[in-house]
Amino acid sequence: MEFVTKNAPHLRRPNASVIRMMRDVVIALSPLVLFALVVHGLTALWILLVAVGSMVATEYIYYQIIDKMNGEKFKINNKSFTVYNFSVLVSGLIYGLILPDEIPLVVVAIGGVVGVFLAKLIFGGMGQNIFNIAAFARVFVTLSFGTALVYAENIDSVLGATPLGALSANLFDASVVESYSYWTMFSGIGLPGSLGETSALLILAGGLYLFLRKSFDIFVPLTYIGTVFLISLGVMFTQDLGIWYPLTHLLSGGLMFGAIYMATDPITIPTTRPGRIYFAFGLGILTFIIRFFGDLPEGVVFAILIMNMFVPAIDYHKWAQSKFTFRSVSIFAVVVLISVISILVGVHYVG
Amino acid sequence: MITKARKVADYKQLTKELPTLRYVDPERVYINLQSDRCKNYTIDVEKGDKVKLGQIMGERDGGFFKQPIYSTISGEVEGFTKKMHPSGIEVECVIIRNDFNDEYHENITDRPESVIEKMSKKEIVEVIRRTATVGLGGSGFPSYIKLDTDKDIHTVVINAVECEPYLSSDYRLIKDSPDEIFKGLKYIMQAVDAEKGVIAVKKTKTELIEVLEREIERYRNLNIRIAKLDDYYPQGWENETFKNALGIKIPAGTLPMEYGVLGFNVSTTSAIFEALKHNLPITKRHLTVNGDAINFPQNIRVRVGTCVKDLIKLSDGYKKDAKLIDLIVGGPMMGTSMPHDDVVVVPTTTSVLVFESQEFEEEPCVRCGSCIYSCPVEIQPVNIMNAFKRNDKKALEDLEVNKCIECGLCAYVCTSKIHLTDYMRKGKKLLG
Repeated sequence: MEFVTKNAPHLRRPNASVIRMMRDVVIALSPLVLFALVVHGLTALWILLVAVGSMVATEYIYYQIIDKMNGEKFKINNKSFTVYNFSVLVSGLIYGLILPDEIPLVVVAIGGVVGVFLAKLIFGGMGQNIFNIAAFARVFVTLSFGTALVYAENIDSVLGATPLGALSANLFDASVVESYSYWTMFSGIGLPGSLGETSALLILAGGLYLFLRKSFDIFVPLTYIGTVFLISLGVMFTQDLGIWYPLTHLLSGGLMFGAIYMATDPITIPTTRPGRIYFAFGLGILTFIIRFFGDLPEGVVFAILIMNMFVPAIDYHKWAQSKFTFRSVSIFAVVVLISVISILVGVHYVG
Repeated sequence: MITKARKVADYKQLTKELPTLRYVDPERVYINLQSDRCKNYTIDVEKGDKVKLGQIMGERDGGFFKQPIYSTISGEVEGFTKKMHPSGIEVECVIIRNDFNDEYHENITDRPESVIEKMSKKEIVEVIRRTATVGLGGSGFPSYIKLDTDKDIHTVVINAVECEPYLSSDYRLIKDSPDEIFKGLKYIMQAVDAEKGVIAVKKTKTELIEVLEREIERYRNLNIRIAKLDDYYPQGWENETFKNALGIKIPAGTLPMEYGVLGFNVSTTSAIFEALKHNLPITKRHLTVNGDAINFPQNIRVRVGTCVKDLIKLSDGYKKDAKLIDLIVGGPMMGTSMPHDDVVVVPTTTSVLVFESQEFEEEPCVRCGSCIYSCPVEIQPVNIMNAFKRNDKKALEDLEVNKCIECGLCAYVCTSKIHLTDYMRKGKKLLG
C-alpha cells in the first residue's frame, strides 16, 4: 500500500466522456442511416461506407505514420490510436449523409481523405480543428467535382429537383413547391435530396435524443432554425406569400440536419453560451443570404464554414462573456434588427 | 453533458445517519505550533511539564493576528516533533501524554446566561480572541476579526450547507446539538447587534430542517429563520449562500461586511458558544472518516491534536485490496492530499477521506463548454487554460483568473477529464 498525492478536486463527474458524447451522435444519426438505406438502397450503403471508410482510414494511417516517425514500433492498435473515440466516425457519417445520391464513389473517397487530412489532421487532430470536417469535405467535393453531383430522378415526382433547388430558380413561385405536400417534406418520404437530409422527422428525433442526453447545446439549433424561420416569415409578410414559404425553408435542404448535427459540433463553435447564440444567429443570416441571393440552392455548409472562421473572434477574451449582460444583449439586439431589415430590403429589390 | 452541471453526487448516505462515535481520549495529542497562516510561534512549556486542559502553552503569530496555543488535554509534555499539518506542510508540534484525568485549567469556568447577556461587543470579541476561535469551515480565519467589524451588520448567516460530498460532520453536529447552534447564533447577533439571523441549510436535508424547526420554537423572540437552499455545488461557498439565502450579491473582491452581512460556519458557531459559555477553546470537533478505501466509514467526535493514524485504526484501517491510497484532509473537491497518514487533527479539520487512487485519463479538449456553463464565478476555465498554455498574461487578466475560488467544479464536470482547476492555479501563479 502506498500514498499518492494529488491536487483537488479528487472526484470527476461520472458518465461524462468524449466517447459518450461522440457515440451519442452516432446513435442519433443511426435512424437517418437506416432511412437512407431504405430509400436509396445499395447506393446509399456504398456512399456511406466509402465516406466513413476513407475518413477513418486516413486518420488511422496518418497516426501510424506519426508514430513511426516518433520511433514507435508498429502495432495494429497504435499509441495515438484515435478511432476509438468515435469522432472520425461521426465526421464520416455526417459527410456521407449530406452527399447527394448519385455521386461517383471515387469522388466520395477523395472528399473524405482531403476533408480529414486538411480540416482535421494537419491542425493537430481532435479538438484542434477550426473547420467542421464534414462541411469542409462536402464543400471541397461541391467546388471540385460540381458536375458529378446529381440528384436522382425522383420516383414520385416528375420534377426531380429538390424543393429548394426549385425555389432557387423561381424565387417566389409557389407552384414549384406545391408538388410536395408538407408531410412529404416533413417525413422525407419521396423527397429528392441528399442521403440523410430529407427526413426532418428523423432529424428532429435524433436532436431530441441528443438533447435528452445533453450531448449538444440545444440553443444552437434553436437559434439557427429560429433565425431562418423568422427571416423567411418576414419575407412572407413583405412579399405577400403563403405560409409555404417559411416552411419550405425549414423543412427542405440541409437546414435541419446542419443545425442539429453540424452547427453543434462543439469543437468548431464558440465556447460560451452567448457566443454560441451569436454564432447560430450568424449561421441563420448567412444561410438565408446564400439561399436567396446566392447562386447555389443550398447555403448551410457554406454558412457553417464561414462562421467557423469567426469563432476565434467571438471567443476573443476582450469581449467574450460567459453570461449575457445588459450591454451585450442590447448590442446583439441592434445587430439582429439591422441585419433583418437589410435582408428584407434586399429581398424587396431582388424580388 | 454540454450543460450547466452543478450536481455533485454527495455520498453522504454512507455516514450521515451513523451515530457519532466518541474518541476523545487518545494516548497522546500533538498540538501544532505552526499552521498555514502562522509561521512563527513562542512556546512556554518544556519537556516534563504538567499541563491542564485549556492551559495556554504559547502563542502562534500570524502577522496581523496572534493566537494562543492551548492544550486540549491534561497530561505531561513529552517533547517536540514534526507532524503533517492538514494544509500539506510539515509543522512543529508539542507532544502531550494523556493522563486521562481531563483536569481543567482554573481559567475554564462557565459563564451564566445572565452574565453573557450583559457582555458588550468588546468583551465578546476579547473572549473569542483569547480562545483562539477560528473559522472551522476550513478557512481558519480568526473569528474575532470578523466579529470586530465596524460596519453595520443587519444579518448573521449560519452556513450549514456542507456542500462537499462525503462530509457529514456538520450534519451530525446539528443533529446532536442544535441548541448550541442557536445559542451561538444568539451570542453573535448580540455581539454585532444584528436584527436578523439566518440558518442556511440544503433543502434536501429534511431531517436537519425538522430538528432546526423544532429548536427554533425556543428562540421565537429572536428574529431567526431557516433558509432552505437548493442542493448543488458550491452552495456552501459564502457568496453563493448569501445570494440564495438573502438575495444579496457580493461582487468579487469585496467583503460581505460591507453589505451588512456576516457569515459563520455551524462548527464555528458551536465553537463560539463553547468559548462564551464555558470559556473553552476548541478542544473537540466533529469529524467524518469516509471514502471507498476505508473499512468502516463513520463520524467521530475527536480531540483536537489526535493523530489521523489513530482515527484510521479506529475505522478498522485501510481496505486490504487498495494499493494506491489518496488520503485527503477536507472535502474531495477542495481538500488536500497527504503524503502519509502522520497528520494532526487541527480545529479546521472537517474530515479525513480515504480513496483508492483513481487515474483519470485526459482526452483532448473538445471545447464543449461545460466548465464555462458551470463556473460559479462566471469565468471561462477552458479559455484560461488556453491562455495559460500560450503564456498570455494579458489574456489571463482579461479573463479574470483571479476571481477563481478553486472550488474544483470545472475539473469535476470536464468531459475530457482535464484538470482545469490546476490550470486555474497555475494561471493565478503566472499573474503573481
